[in-house]
Amino acid sequence: MNIAVCLCQVPDSASVIGFADGALDRSRINEVMNPYDEYALEEAVCLKERIAGSLVTVFTVAPLSAKDMLRKALALGADRAVLVSAAEPSDPYFTALQLKSALMEFYEGILPDLVFCGKSSTDFQSAEVPSMLGALLGIASVSGVTSLNVSGEHLHLEREIEGGVEQIELHYPVVISAEKGLNQPRKTTVKAVMEARKKPIDLLAVSVDGAPLVLVSDFKALERKKVCRFAEDEKELVLLLSNECSLFSAD
Amino acid sequence: MTRFLVFLEQREGVLKKSSIDAWNRVQEIAALSAGAMVTGLIAGPVDRQPIGDLLAGDGVVYHANEELLRPYRQEFYTRLVTSLIKQESISALFFADSSLSRDLAPRLSVLLKASLLSGDLLFNRQGHPDGSFRPVYSGLATASFLPQRNITIYNLSPSRGMVTRSSADGTIQVLPIELHQQSSDNLLAEVRRIVLRQNSLDIAEAGIIVAGGRGMGSSAGFALLEELAALLGGAVGASRFAVDEGWRPHAEQIGQTGKTVAPQLYFACGVSGAPQHLAGVASSAIVVAINSDHDAPVFQVADFGIVGDVHLVLPKLIEALKEFLKKK
Repeated sequence: MNIAVCLCQVPDSASVIGFADGALDRSRINEVMNPYDEYALEEAVCLKERIAGSLVTVFTVAPLSAKDMLRKALALGADRAVLVSAAEPSDPYFTALQLKSALMEFYEGILPDLVFCGKSSTDFQSAEVPSMLGALLGIASVSGVTSLNVSGEHLHLEREIEGGVEQIELHYPVVISAEKGLNQPRKTTVKAVMEARKKPIDLLAVSVDGAPLVLVSDFKALERKKVCRFAEDEKELVLLLSNECSLFSAD
Repeated sequence: MTRFLVFLEQREGVLKKSSIDAWNRVQEIAALSAGAMVTGLIAGPVDRQPIGDLLAGDGVVYHANEELLRPYRQEFYTRLVTSLIKQESISALFFADSSLSRDLAPRLSVLLKASLLSGDLLFNRQGHPDGSFRPVYSGLATASFLPQRNITIYNLSPSRGMVTRSSADGTIQVLPIELHQQSSDNLLAEVRRIVLRQNSLDIAEAGIIVAGGRGMGSSAGFALLEELAALLGGAVGASRFAVDEGWRPHAEQIGQTGKTVAPQLYFACGVSGAPQHLAGVASSAIVVAINSDHDAPVFQVADFGIVGDVHLVLPKLIEALKEFLKKK
């Protein structure tokens, strides 16, 4: 079984987010694997361990500096890594187009059985690429998956919805976006890191026809300031709330 | 003539409040932007409510009243929406942000070559919706997103202090629409069933949310929040820390890796206020913070606050509220 995992890099949570000339100031940014992608990769590797003859290949559309992340993915259990060089993605649609081209090129036109993505990236937070990729590949996609079981030709999935859980059964091939809770990603070991150095990283160049659907602009670092009115005690708080908002009086 | 389409989501035969809210907001926008027409689409049966009574303004609502569409099915829903958009020459499609719209909207965007925008609306000088802005980088920044195509899809965040108007003025005409089945349909993703949690109000639809964080100390500490929520008819929410510790289920998590909420009243109890959490509550109408640290960032976004240990403050607050409600 061929399993593809799409990865991306995001600023780590300790990075200082600032903007210069309308773009992210990268000088104070440390990039790491998108946290949701770790769940995607872990699930792919777990499946490989259960289903004999499976091959996990990770893909990222990124500059050469993303090789470190790919090495980490290999140490976490991926078999092959592909660094896709292409124009810098400008919106989720363009990213999905590039991933589609890379998958078609790498697998020589035969769709992989499973494509895993993280639910969203923590930088742009669009959560659109996985479903877009599914539509471009002409296959089903399931977003925000929290549980996955395989039996024969069938996949049993669960995704969280408002107030409950949706249970879905479907066939291969499918694009799955991984939500927190799907699994507990493993840590790398020294041995795995050593072995990962021997695994190949392929370079693949793709060019994509298509204009972006959305233009992003006007970044602003967020300043949240309200003036908080502190209540001396609980009774005063209740009075403040009843005076300032109609909640406790309307009904 | 500008034509807007609002996707009205039903869950288990009931129209979702967030969808009705979106419809009513789009009606207001249409009224301001000189004569835009609002059309609705419902996929699946609606059991309990007469549709026209719930929606404000004038318009046509297309209703695909088929059992097959009761659960969300990606392929069928995609086909239904795309065919209606083409048939009615729709220029903008609106969703209320939900797990369904997050799954469906990106596919529609690809198939219709439509610009997909989420968050809060931006308007041009004529009062037409013309983009969106929303948090990026874990809630540490915001950005604007501008459409580049003729058809736009908006995935709307809940409006500030979401209120569903109960009185419906105007005339809503409900028309049937059919899903045309195809021979390949048995190959498609099949939602088997939906399992809803019992007795829990969904935080995404709650008017009052009582949320707890690290300061609650344990899962047992949340009993106080459940009591407060029950008293106010609200729902319990949790910070990422509380969920990671296993004190509460992920479904209750508010913030960047959880849900974005927009209640009338939000209590942040023992929540320090990481930017990721605050990004999820920014649309709340009123925020009340209770924290023992006077300098906790949560107070920077709070309207009202009490400095003190949640374990001491909450029981007194519950008492004070009971007292107040009794007098009323």
